[in-house]
Amino acid sequence: MSPALRPVLLIARREFAAKVKGRAFVVGTLVVLLLLGVYAAVVVTLASNEDTARVGVAGPATALTDPLLRAAPTEGLTLTVVPQPDPAAGEAAVRADDLDALITGDPVRPRVYVESEPDADLERVIVDATAATARDAFLRGRGVDPSALDAVVSEAGPAVVAAEPPDPQAGQRLGLGLAGAFLLFFSIQTYGAMVAQGVVEEKSSRVVEIVLSSVRPWQLLLGKVLGLGAVGLLQLVVLGGAGLAVAGAAGVLASGAGLVSTLVSVLVWYLLGFALYATIFAAAGSLVSRQEDTQSVLSPVTITVLLGFVVGFNLLTSDPRGTPMTVISLLPPFSPLFMPARIALGVAPVGQVVLAFALTLAFTAATLWLGGRIYANSVLRTGARVSFREALGRARG
Amino acid sequence: MLEIDGISKRFGSTVALDRMTFTVRPGELYGFVGANGAGKTTTMRIALGVLAADAGEVRLDGRPLDAVSRRRIGYMPEERGLYPRMAVGTQLRYLAELRGRSATDARAAADRWTERLGLAERRSDEVQRLSLGNQQRVQLAAALVADPDVLVLDEPFSGLDPVAVDVMSDVLRERRDAGAPVVFSSHQLELVERLCDRVGIVRAGRAVAEGTVDELREGSASELVVVAPAAPAGWADHLPGVTGSRAAEGGTVLTLADASETTLAGVLDAARRTGPVHEFRRRRPALAEIYRGTVAGTTEPAGHGVAA
Repeated sequence: MSPALRPVLLIARREFAAKVKGRAFVVGTLVVLLLLGVYAAVVVTLASNEDTARVGVAGPATALTDPLLRAAPTEGLTLTVVPQPDPAAGEAAVRADDLDALITGDPVRPRVYVESEPDADLERVIVDATAATARDAFLRGRGVDPSALDAVVSEAGPAVVAAEPPDPQAGQRLGLGLAGAFLLFFSIQTYGAMVAQGVVEEKSSRVVEIVLSSVRPWQLLLGKVLGLGAVGLLQLVVLGGAGLAVAGAAGVLASGAGLVSTLVSVLVWYLLGFALYATIFAAAGSLVSRQEDTQSVLSPVTITVLLGFVVGFNLLTSDPRGTPMTVISLLPPFSPLFMPARIALGVAPVGQVVLAFALTLAFTAATLWLGGRIYANSVLRTGARVSFREALGRARG
Repeated sequence: MLEIDGISKRFGSTVALDRMTFTVRPGELYGFVGANGAGKTTTMRIALGVLAADAGEVRLDGRPLDAVSRRRIGYMPEERGLYPRMAVGTQLRYLAELRGRSATDARAAADRWTERLGLAERRSDEVQRLSLGNQQRVQLAAALVADPDVLVLDEPFSGLDPVAVDVMSDVLRERRDAGAPVVFSSHQLELVERLCDRVGIVRAGRAVAEGTVDELREGSASELVVVAPAAPAGWADHLPGVTGSRAAEGGTVLTLADASETTLAGVLDAARRTGPVHEFRRRRPALAEIYRGTVAGTTEPAGHGVAA
C-alpha cells in the first residue's frame, strides 16, 4: 500500500467504526426501517381492501340484477346482488349490516334503502343500471335491439398514435426516481453534517494537533470523508434495499423496471455527491472551534441544498422533461440529487447524463482543492471563527 | 540531533519567532523556558509540521524534516487533546498506527505504556471517563506509543500530581539515556534545573541564552553571601568592586562587578574588621533568578550559542 494512503485508510476505518458501533447509528437505522415497515403495512392493507358491495333486490327491481352486474365493473366495484324474499327482510338485512343497500320498486325509478348514505361508487352503479334499463325499454319500444346497438357502439373509438408512447411503468419509475432523490438528499445532509461535526469535535477536543503532527491535512480530510461516506453508503444500501424489498412484496414494484440501473446510478451519484458535499461541510466545520457554532456555518449550506431539493422535487413530479428540471439536473451542486431521478424516469438523454457527470466531477475536484485549502488553513486555528479571507490564504506546505 | 535553525514566523503584524535557533543533541535533555508568548509553543508546532515557518529550517540528523521523518518525533501539544469517546487502548493503538507502526507493534506499545503509566485497568474506558490526571498520563502515552526517536513535549509537567511528575521525569531521563534528543518546555524552573542537561531561554521569539545551568550561572552576575553578625548596616556599600548589597539569607548578599581575587580579598578584610565572620561564600543563583534576569533584560544575555 502506498505510504500516503495507509493513514487515510486508518482514519477512514476509525470514523467508520466509531459511527457504526455507536448506538445512534444502529437505533436510527432500526427506527427508519420500522417506520418503512409500518408504512408498507398500511399501504398493503389499503390496497387489499378492494371496493366491494352487497345489494339486495326485491320485487320488480329484481329486473335490475343484470344491468347492475354489467355496470359494476365500469365503476371498479365488485358487486354481489342478493335477491330478497320481501322488502321487509331486505331492510332488516341492511340494518344488520349484511347488505349495503336494498333496491325495491320500479326498475327505472327504484327506491334504494341504505343505512345512512350510499357509497359513491355504488350510487353511480345504480344510476347507470337504471339509465340502461330505461334506455333498453325505450329502444325496444321502437323495435331496436339494444344488444345490437351495444355491439356497434363498442366498435367505435379513436386509434391514438403517440410520438412518444407513455411508459407503462412510468408510475413505478417516478416512484423510484423520487425515492432515490430523497435518499440521496437525506444521506448527504445527514452524513455531510456528521463530517462537519467530526471536524469541529476534533478541533474542540484539540486532538487534531496530535493527528496533524502525524498526517497531512488532506489525508485527515480524505479519511474522514471516506469513512463517513462508507457509513452513509451502508445506511443507504440498508434502507434502499429494505424499501425495494417492501415495495416488491407489496406488489408496487415489478422487477425489471430499470431497477438495477437505477440502483447503480443512485450509488454512483451518491459517491460523487457525497464527496462534493462532505468537502463543503468539512471546510465549513473547520472555520469554527465549538460545537455551538457549527450550526451557524452549516446553515447556509444546508438551506441552499434544502431549497434546491424542494424546487427540484416539485419540478420532478410536475415536469421532469421541462427546461428548469433539465438545468437543475445538469448543474452541480444539485445534479447529484436529481440526475439519478431523471435517469430513473427515463427522461435524461445520454448526452445530458455525461455532461452532468463531467460538470459534477469538475466541480467536485474544484471543491476538494478549495475545501482542502480552507480546511488546512483553519483546522488548527482555535478561538474566534476564522474569516473566509484568512481561510483562503496560503496553505501550509 | 534536532536542529532548529533560524526559524521566523509572523502572525499578521505580530512577530512570533525571530530567527529562533537552538540544537538538541542525542542523549540530551533540553529545557525550553520563556514567558508566555515568547514563542515556545510556536517553535514546537513548527518543528512538528503543524505550522509552517516563514523562514528557517528544522533538521533531524542533518536532514530537513519532512512528513515521514516527523513521524519519528513523539509530541505532546500544549493544548492537550484526545478523542473523548474513544477507549484508551484503541486510541493509543490508532495514534501509533497513524505514525506508521504496524498493528502488532501498536498493540504491544499501547499495552506496555498503559502498564508503565498505571493505566492498565483503564484500557477499555473511554478517555472522557478518566480523571484529568489520568488523561494527562494517556496524553504522555500518546507521545511515547509510536516509540519515537525524538521527544518534543510542550509543558509536559503542567497539571500533574507529584507522583506523575516523578513518573514523567523518569520517563524523560530514560529516553535521554537511550540516546534520544528530548526537548520540553516548562514554567517549573526548579524542575528544569534538576532535570535538564541544557537550557534555552527565549524572549520575544529569540533564544537569548543557552547552555548548561552551570554555564548560565557563570555568565550571570556574581554574588557573594557574607554572614558577619556584628556588621553594621551598609558596611559593604562602598567597597571597591561591589555594585550593590542587600540583607538576605541571614546576612548580606553582595553583587560584585567582578569576582577577582582583589575584590574578594577586599570584601573579606572589610567583613573581618566588623567582627566575627561565620560564612563567606559565592552564591549560586537558582535558574529562576538567571531566568528573571535574562527575560527582564536587566543583565546582558549570557552563555554560549547566543543567537541574538
